[in-house]
Amino acid sequence: MASLVLENVTIDFPIYGSQKTFRHALFEKTTGGFIRREGTKNQRVTVRALENISLNLSHGDRLGMIGHNGAGKSTLLRVCAGVYEPTYGKISINGKVSPLFSTSPGLDGDDTGYENIQTCGMFLGMTPEEIVRKTPEIEQFSELGDYLSLPVRTYSTGMLVRLGFGIATSIDPEILLLDEGLGAGDARFAERANKRVDALVERASILVLASHSDALIKTMCNKAILLQGGRVIASGSVDDVIKEYHDLNKSVA
Amino acid sequence: MHAQYGPAIGDIIEGALSWHMWGRLGWLDIKRRYRRTLIGPFWTTLSLGIFILALGIMWAHLWKQDPKTYLPFLCSGFLVWVMVSTTLIEGCAVFFSAEGLIKQLRFPYTTLVCSVVWRNVIVFLHNLIIFLFVSLYAGVQFTWATLLVVPGLLLVIVNGLWMVIILGLVCSRYRDIQQVMSSILQLAMFVTPIFWTADQLGERFGAFIDYNFLFHVVDIVRSPLLGKPPALWSWIFVGAATLLGWVATLVIFSRFRRRITYWI
Repeated sequence: MASLVLENVTIDFPIYGSQKTFRHALFEKTTGGFIRREGTKNQRVTVRALENISLNLSHGDRLGMIGHNGAGKSTLLRVCAGVYEPTYGKISINGKVSPLFSTSPGLDGDDTGYENIQTCGMFLGMTPEEIVRKTPEIEQFSELGDYLSLPVRTYSTGMLVRLGFGIATSIDPEILLLDEGLGAGDARFAERANKRVDALVERASILVLASHSDALIKTMCNKAILLQGGRVIASGSVDDVIKEYHDLNKSVA
Repeated sequence: MHAQYGPAIGDIIEGALSWHMWGRLGWLDIKRRYRRTLIGPFWTTLSLGIFILALGIMWAHLWKQDPKTYLPFLCSGFLVWVMVSTTLIEGCAVFFSAEGLIKQLRFPYTTLVCSVVWRNVIVFLHNLIIFLFVSLYAGVQFTWATLLVVPGLLLVIVNGLWMVIILGLVCSRYRDIQQVMSSILQLAMFVTPIFWTADQLGERFGAFIDYNFLFHVVDIVRSPLLGKPPALWSWIFVGAATLLGWVATLVIFSRFRRRITYWI
């Protein structure tokens, strides 16, 4: 059974300026002893992106993360994906994580549609057999026909979106991490895309969705957290958290 | 920061085993070089071939050597050198050039490392065509010792892997190292017996060769290509370097692996 547990996770991002180079470190090493004796501290600038986040998700949980820009939503998603290992705290991921932050990781313009299905599918965690099995489905959804044999740089933006979307939504996720903004295109496509996302979410054991839109969270999630400045300031049922979010917006405005 | 040996070893093993991934990545890189060109990666082969031929004939004349012995020597050594040095220079960028992927997905870092090494092995195999022509011209004898190319190449690959892990890691943090590395390699190309033979140097600078890691790395592939078994000392030296290198890599990698995402 899939589960995702975060215990007091804190993330500090080091900020490296252009001056902090090898030369700098070299001098630091050779003169380190003297400086330390004078009590100068190592001036490392860090930004605390997340502070003391605890989550406990198990099968059936659909968690919505809401918050303003820079609140830490994307960072938290990346932590859940195992991309950033926490500076402090612990994370234990049980099950296959499928992060869908971009629909087509590893996409290369010079490769054909079919080749990109293989590359992106591989990066999204599919086995070669799985990719072969899913290819007809992707062909059908993307409606690209013979274009799939052409290099994707010849595609229009819409075609590229359909391809990327078709690949991304063909995976069988256990723990699905979604960043909003997945999906675009014309109205007819948007409708088909929504259906596919719904089916994708349906297949997942756990969903974590980051979004600004309360409507999206209301329809897809059964619990929610509100992030601000890297901290969870509210958590619980979707309605309560969204209410808090609106209160927060009002107090800012 | 404390070392985490488990995840680091897991990363290396899992990465090395994900051959369908690094195999594909490396192969696609090569395939892209073929695209819209007539001979693709063979352009590198062609220019390398002309370089070796021109230089070989001229220097054989300058140093009054028989082109039939000098050309195969230069060719085999230089091809191995190109593989090793390109791997190391590209290895510096292995992590930060894949920033987009690393920041989006969780997969073993070693997968990327393997794809860099694999890509350069493929290019080397392309380039071996030059050696084939040269050895036909010069009548290089294929002997039982020629088969030692296989273990030699494997050792080079195993060493390439740890070097790329360390270089990639250090360069993620300190971008200058890539420049430092290419300068060092440029110099190393001239002080390592590639254009000249080890016995031309004489006793006085012998240590220069005996303890030159890159010389031994080149020689364990070059000598078999020329139909001679490599010196036992070369095997020992490279073997020891493999062991030490991997131990050092494990220590460093297990300590800093989790920082890579933050650095790039």
